[in-house]
Amino acid sequence: MVEYGESAELDHIFSALADPTRRAILRILARQPATIQEIAEPFPVSLNAVSKHVMVLERAGLVRREIRGREHHCWIEPGPLHEADAWLERYRHFWEQRMDALEVVVKRKLKAAKGAGMHGKNR
Amino acid sequence: MEKTADGKHRIVVRRRMPAPREIVYEAWIDPEGFREWMCPGDVISAEAQLDVRVGGSFRIVMRSKDKVHEHVGTYQVVDPPAKLVFTWSGLENSSEITLVTVEFLAHGKESELVITHEGFPQSDVAGRYEMGWGTIAKKFSEYLANDQRTAKKPA
Repeated sequence: MVEYGESAELDHIFSALADPTRRAILRILARQPATIQEIAEPFPVSLNAVSKHVMVLERAGLVRREIRGREHHCWIEPGPLHEADAWLERYRHFWEQRMDALEVVVKRKLKAAKGAGMHGKNR
Repeated sequence: MEKTADGKHRIVVRRRMPAPREIVYEAWIDPEGFREWMCPGDVISAEAQLDVRVGGSFRIVMRSKDKVHEHVGTYQVVDPPAKLVFTWSGLENSSEITLVTVEFLAHGKESELVITHEGFPQSDVAGRYEMGWGTIAKKFSEYLANDQRTAKKPA
């Protein structure tokens, strides 16, 4: 199941990168985000054809698209290419969040210990 | 992100604590405290069992709205109040066993925690790298970088 998921993902990426127009689109988006119209400018193909290419890149997880009004804004998604970093960052976030919570527990224990200490002296 | 000598990945998180290390250590090995701070944010309930001795194990179940995470591990070093080393794995991906080292450093009335989580891994990420993912990603970044350079040059 996992293996299938991984290879399906790789298939999408390989086939997305196999096409010269799609590689050119990625090069454009690597410089800066762009709308479908802006991407289409240098190509002798229809907006619809460019949109389809972008869809293939989206399916491979390499590009994201957001529709604002009538414009489709696209940007490159480095995620799949930096999977390792992202995964480790999630763990870093996990521990930093836990440390925030630990500090709360530690402060309470400190207060309790001080209370107990004073109690001890009075005895 | 760092890499260990054998090429595996490691993260280090350091945190100052406003209490002596004995208290911080206590909060780490006390099941009630552990249960509380291990489950912040949207984690709504949890169970924790700790058997803090070398060879002893722990198990913690974290439940959020739509997910249940269970983590288990075995203590390898128990050196109160200075150091804990334990294995760490999520049952949903139990083939992945990582190692957590927690050092409790004394700084007068305060202390510092150094958490080193390492051994990431030969599964999720590294599996992709074994399949050539690393090479593809590297080549592709180089390709994009080269292209950005050529794009800036006048034709």
